[in-house]
Amino acid sequence: MRVLPALLIFSAAICNAAELTPGRWEGVVRIPERDLTVVVDLDRGAGNDWMGSITVVGLDIKGAPLSDIVMKAPEIAFSAQTAPPPRGLQATFKGKLDSSGMLSGSFIQAGNTAPFSLKRTGPPDVEAPPRNTPVAKDLEGEWRGGYELNGYKREVTLQLANQPGGATAEMVVVGKRTTKIPMDTVTQEGDFLSLQSHGMGMNYEGRFGKESHEIKGIFGQGPLEIPLVFHRGVAPKTQTP
Amino acid sequence: MRSALIGIIFFLAIHFAPAQSMFRGDPAHTGVYAGTAPRQFHRIKWKFTTGDRVFSSPVASGKVLYFAGDDGNVYAVDIGNGRQVWKHATAGPAPSTPAVDGGSVYVCSYDGRLYAFNAQSGALKWKFATGGERRFEAKGIHGLKPRNQTIADQFDVFLSSPVVIQGTVYFGSGDGNLYAVDANSGELRWKFQTGDVVHSSPAYADGALYFGSWDSRFYAVDAVTGKERWRFQAGEDPLIHNQVGFQSSAAVVNGVVYVGCRDSNLYALDVATGKEKWRFNNEGSWVIASPAVKDGKVFFATSDSSLYRVVDAATGKSLLRDDTKAYVFSSPAIAGDVVVYGVLNGTLQARDVNTGTLLWEYQTEASKANKGWVLSSERKFNGPLLFHSPWREAATVAVDRQFNIGAIFSSPLILNGIVYFTSTDGSLYALE
Repeated sequence: MRVLPALLIFSAAICNAAELTPGRWEGVVRIPERDLTVVVDLDRGAGNDWMGSITVVGLDIKGAPLSDIVMKAPEIAFSAQTAPPPRGLQATFKGKLDSSGMLSGSFIQAGNTAPFSLKRTGPPDVEAPPRNTPVAKDLEGEWRGGYELNGYKREVTLQLANQPGGATAEMVVVGKRTTKIPMDTVTQEGDFLSLQSHGMGMNYEGRFGKESHEIKGIFGQGPLEIPLVFHRGVAPKTQTP
Repeated sequence: MRSALIGIIFFLAIHFAPAQSMFRGDPAHTGVYAGTAPRQFHRIKWKFTTGDRVFSSPVASGKVLYFAGDDGNVYAVDIGNGRQVWKHATAGPAPSTPAVDGGSVYVCSYDGRLYAFNAQSGALKWKFATGGERRFEAKGIHGLKPRNQTIADQFDVFLSSPVVIQGTVYFGSGDGNLYAVDANSGELRWKFQTGDVVHSSPAYADGALYFGSWDSRFYAVDAVTGKERWRFQAGEDPLIHNQVGFQSSAAVVNGVVYVGCRDSNLYALDVATGKEKWRFNNEGSWVIASPAVKDGKVFFATSDSSLYRVVDAATGKSLLRDDTKAYVFSSPAIAGDVVVYGVLNGTLQARDVNTGTLLWEYQTEASKANKGWVLSSERKFNGPLLFHSPWREAATVAVDRQFNIGAIFSSPLILNGIVYFTSTDGSLYALE
């Protein structure tokens, strides 16, 4: 007799939970006195694994990739990390999907927890993370440059290499200390080379001069924008911003 | 004989009474108060609420506390019960700490005027117009964008707090001047021009005033003539104007000027020559708080790196450091073996002077509410939800949110075992 109610409850729970199918969910995270508008896309990728992206209006987050996606009906959990802390947003959603397609639960960020509720609005449109492009043969190899900041000279070496998945880049800045900056995004569009290190909040955007054989651009270091010109294997010429 | 005795007692009362009637306790701005501060937090004795945020620090004269608010009012509050004695409006926000001397209260307002009120009644005695107030500003300041846009510095939160010496009121102004004004008449005695905003408060010692300007220089000026004695050149930042300027007010002790700077150094300068004795570098972090100096040690705190620090007054060698969790603009106040300061995350922290051990913390209700998740669960600033964009008004909105969680900018006043401080939640607190 005790088994029957238990089976009924179990069956009801299954019927109330929606099937976890790919989709787009839109809604809000209710932070005290500050609602965050959120769009989440979840889809199945190669190998049937779940993948997803998130947009948070007002926080400059558009199509950031989701990670740690766990879908065990009706439980859903996923995380978003736009850059390593403390710079980037690192947040986790833990919720349940109900039969109406509403996904609700807890949003956890910086140790704080707030409720969220997202409504299924249509098919998914997961944004692919940016991919590195190959760089031209002329750009491959080692480049050297330098700049001066707050009275201190820095020497910079840039290594560019083509790999099967796109180009890789590493910048090494030698000043009072040596800083290695692995660039996680490397793209070349025409003469323009763009490098980004989201983790360290640094970037470089330069233009390759085919005749001058130099890359002339701006090195962004947090709030600073510093002119930086790279030359082929020559002693660096220090520039003052 | 009796009159002579009374005379001696009166002299002693004037010269050795606990100094609490101006910013940092005394004209030399040592930040040291008589008596002792509580080593344990027991309760809020009372709370007095104004109409807007408060950055001004409380000062005491007799049984009355004085401070000013961003609602434009100057307040006199009964020290025993926290009830209003009087208030008087100025025509602008007043993030300046009043000075009380000779029965008058002197305070600066963003309307560009120095006010003098009767300390007992609150009646206006006179007001003196400067060349006008403004905040420090620069193109693309702190890396904000558009880069070619002149932007006011959101962290230039204080106005200069007057110091009163021998019938003259001295204070700095956003018009770049240090002013000397007759305390009785409000007439100008002299003014000394610097190259940018002066919102630090002049310290007085040995017949001179010591203060820094946002022009990146620190000055010693003769108190009588207004002539420059020396100047000291600190760091500059032509790129984003972040690592430049003196916002900290100096403390002058035993022939040495101690002052923090936005170039991230704490400086020790010879009071007679301005020659640098030592500097303590804080690796890019501003030193906005004014240092306190006691028993051969300098006590200060940093903003960006959020550290409480103690260094040797003679050598600048580090003696203690600890995490404050968030920016500190509040200047440490020392009474007995306790040092107390406010933090921008809305907590007041009390530490043992000798060991640096955190004795107690008080957290404002606004900080506990943590609207908009300005803070992490560890009470650190929640960067990703605050500063997500350098463009247009985003940083202004972020700083406004940051300030609205009961942040404590004021320098605590410690008197008879009670700690008085103000908060951006609009209140003056008395804790015991």
